[in-house]
Amino acid sequence: MPEFTFSPAQEMLRKAVREFVEKEIEPIAHKIDAENSCPMDVFRKMGALGFAGVIVPKEYGGAGLGLTERAIILEETARHAAGFAMTLMTHQLGIEVLLSYGSEEQKRKYLPELASGKKLGGLAVTEPSGGSDVGGQQSTGELKDGKWVLNGRKCFITNSSEADVCVVTVRTGEDAKGRPSFSAFIIEKGTPGFAPGREEDKFGLRGSGTGDLSLNNCQAGEDAVLGGVGNGTKMALAAISKVGRTGMSAISVGILRGCLEEGVRFAKERVLYGKPIAKLQAIQLEIARNRVDYEAARLLTYYAIGLKDAGGSCDAEIATAKYFSTEAAVRAAKRTMDLMGGYGVVNDYPVGRYLRDALATIPSGGTSHVMQLVIAGQTLA
Amino acid sequence: MEKKQVIWVIIEQVQGKTAAVSLEVLGKACQLAAEAANAQVVAVALGSAIGPLAQQLPKHGADKVFLVDDPRLELYQNDTYSSVLRRLIERERPDVVLIGASASGEELAPTLAAQLGTGLAAHCTNLRLAADGTLTMLVPAFGGQVIGEIFCPVQRPQMATIKPGVFSPVGLAERTGEIVQEDGASLLYDAEIRLRATRLVVEEPPGMPIEQADVIVAGGWGIGSRENWRLLEELAKEFNGAVGCTRPALDQGWTGGEHTMIGSSGKTVRPKLYLGAGISGAAHHMVGIKDSGVIISVNRDKTAPIFQFSDYCVAADFRDVLPELLAQIRRAKH
Amino acid sequence: MKGLNISVLVKPVPDPGCYESIQIDPQTGILVREGLPNILNPADKHALEAALQLVEQHSGRVVMVSMAPPNALETVKEGLAMGADEAWLLSDRAFAGADTLATSRVLAAGIKKLGLCDLVLAGSESADGGTAHVPSQVGEILGISHLTNVTWLNIDTDANVRARMKMENGYIEVEGALPMVIGVSRGMNVPRYTSLPGILAAQDKPVKVLGLNNLGLDPGSVGLAGSPTQPGKLSRPELKRQGERLEGEPAELAKRIVAIMRSSGVLS
Repeated sequence: MPEFTFSPAQEMLRKAVREFVEKEIEPIAHKIDAENSCPMDVFRKMGALGFAGVIVPKEYGGAGLGLTERAIILEETARHAAGFAMTLMTHQLGIEVLLSYGSEEQKRKYLPELASGKKLGGLAVTEPSGGSDVGGQQSTGELKDGKWVLNGRKCFITNSSEADVCVVTVRTGEDAKGRPSFSAFIIEKGTPGFAPGREEDKFGLRGSGTGDLSLNNCQAGEDAVLGGVGNGTKMALAAISKVGRTGMSAISVGILRGCLEEGVRFAKERVLYGKPIAKLQAIQLEIARNRVDYEAARLLTYYAIGLKDAGGSCDAEIATAKYFSTEAAVRAAKRTMDLMGGYGVVNDYPVGRYLRDALATIPSGGTSHVMQLVIAGQTLA
Repeated sequence: MEKKQVIWVIIEQVQGKTAAVSLEVLGKACQLAAEAANAQVVAVALGSAIGPLAQQLPKHGADKVFLVDDPRLELYQNDTYSSVLRRLIERERPDVVLIGASASGEELAPTLAAQLGTGLAAHCTNLRLAADGTLTMLVPAFGGQVIGEIFCPVQRPQMATIKPGVFSPVGLAERTGEIVQEDGASLLYDAEIRLRATRLVVEEPPGMPIEQADVIVAGGWGIGSRENWRLLEELAKEFNGAVGCTRPALDQGWTGGEHTMIGSSGKTVRPKLYLGAGISGAAHHMVGIKDSGVIISVNRDKTAPIFQFSDYCVAADFRDVLPELLAQIRRAKH
Repeated sequence: MKGLNISVLVKPVPDPGCYESIQIDPQTGILVREGLPNILNPADKHALEAALQLVEQHSGRVVMVSMAPPNALETVKEGLAMGADEAWLLSDRAFAGADTLATSRVLAAGIKKLGLCDLVLAGSESADGGTAHVPSQVGEILGISHLTNVTWLNIDTDANVRARMKMENGYIEVEGALPMVIGVSRGMNVPRYTSLPGILAAQDKPVKVLGLNNLGLDPGSVGLAGSPTQPGKLSRPELKRQGERLEGEPAELAKRIVAIMRSSGVLS
């Protein structure tokens, strides 16, 4: 196993994002959560600094970097505001499908404005009848007189009401074996028949809008088809594994660091029986466990992402990282609340939010059960 | 017998008024002179038409005053002030030169030290003068977390700056001293003036200057909004006091401005009573209030570090306590 | 005036957020500062921002000059990511232990070596030492005019300088001409954030490391040996007080505070 270090440029990026997050996001992190509001002005600033378009190649106005740099940005953002990091992570999910499957024309049309943060992206797959069961999607697309007409309802879609450019999958026919086949369409905000529906009042990861999208005789030209008719499932699954799960894993590492740092701070400041509780061994053990969970999650996450950046096949490694990191974040947040006693449950401290955010990372991009199935499948193959 | 030590204090004046810090430093110089048993305190005043000001300096501890009265010295400027002082120092060879760390003093002192090739200690929190003439200068570093001793063993004069509020002035109504009028023309040549100070713009901040207030009500990040900040202002008003702030509160724009920031990078204060609300108690703030008479702190967080530095700790929400306090004070006054 | 050649003096300093964890070794009496992350001195970022804005206005070039150990290079490079064109790191064992005057000699030698420099900008003070000496002392050693605590700065196309120097209750307006050293107050501007394209560009910008010999300095004029001031013992200030906890309902708490105010003589 090689030495695990980040390059000087990656370290510089981490510092730059940290400074931005501490100045612009940390002060409003509580408000974002309390009001469940997404600070779009902050997103635009991050776009202008190149953070939103980190994975977009330079020829389309991005930084041309990999998922490792993206994970650094997400981790640093999630250190103080995992909910807002979710907005950024989903934006990049939308970018990823365009990047991997878009035609040259589509890339030129959409990527520059997504890279610079002038526009927000999204990806809409999940429906009431299925999320990880991609085949369960009921929405349809029919080709009529050279126009696709889309109908149906998407749910639990992140950035549903804010996204300017959304990639939407719908059932467009059957494959050779008679199974339903799906296609992806690029739909812009404001397209007639395409509208956000109800917004979910989430328990965690608040500050990223999540809700319904409705397709009601929404018309799309043939140039809106992404990656060829019938390829929607493959594309969505690949993007969700590559960008969705690595993103959730990085967000969890950010939450873990928050738990570690807040726990340490509290343990040093809180005085009981005349000395800081950090001097108590029972507290020291909790801090040590937080550190172990953070370090392990960080290693698994950046290892899996490193493999992906190197071009390897690593769905099981990504699933392992996502499964471990999200669950570890829940454990660490619970542990930190425990060591804080009554203060842990008071919203003046951010740790209660960290616990809610950590719990909410589990279903995003596939639950822990689904992750374990991916891992088992590859292990038993 | 040891050589008689000579301590100089550079007097800062703005529009003919002596800066408070200069009198504080003069007070400290008197104390040093007493410590070293055999020292003389000399005040040096530069300006234009400042004769009356110079006459007052013996009452604040000067044994002797050098007065340089020249229209070209009306406004502070480093070229002019440093030229005059360098010539005087080279002629008189004082052992110690002390300067208030005001905005101008912070520039004048290092300028002079570089011209004279001597050592300078910045923002001293204390000074000691030994009988052999060695000056021990205590300086804060790392935002006041560490205090270091500084010596200037070889070069002379030994130079130090002192922040406003650190020492107290002395009043010696009966004392008289020699006033020496210096000739500006022989100390300053027009050819060496490269910069011109064209005007002084006074932006007098409203209310009591924080360094002079007997009561300071200070707020930090925990105050949360401009609206809540008004509560501190109302409370301070009851005492003709001042409102102070921490850097996070200043950065939020709730406060009266930079001149109200207390701490290692702001003001050092010593009120009779300091009441802090919504302040966590970072050391760089606390070093600025350590000489306060009574410190009362109000913070919702029972674990806030400020409680370790306070005489009275109120672990409650300031939004509950301060309005009640305000009402009771108003009742008490009527 | 054909563009501005600006040197910006920068100093890597331990992150002020960590100063409370600084310890003094009880045996040696030396500061334990290992493991503290370095950042660019906050005030220097304001100086760099001022330089970048001036070059945007007048065209020209911004070179950072820093006296620091070689391991500070990555921190100095953060200034390249913000937009500076080049960095000079003045680094030599002989520079260690320098006070502000000995530091200023090295910085001035670096600026002279650069040649052609219209304007030197620096943060008014550093976060660690906080002396605010360096801008004035560099100016004296270079023999050019200097100003510090500057909150507003204007340079016209004929190299005339107008500046406002912060005073206690206002400011003094000063006029002069380039070349000049200016200590920038944090109130002058808001430094830009480091952008990702800036970080990428920084990796290829020129960085020069120069030592005592390159600068033609006498070893006796630099470092601890060349410093007129010498450090003595370190200590930590004792700030703690015996806190008495006041308990009760707001009305009761207020009553106690009023009583304390009376006994301390601020309320009759």
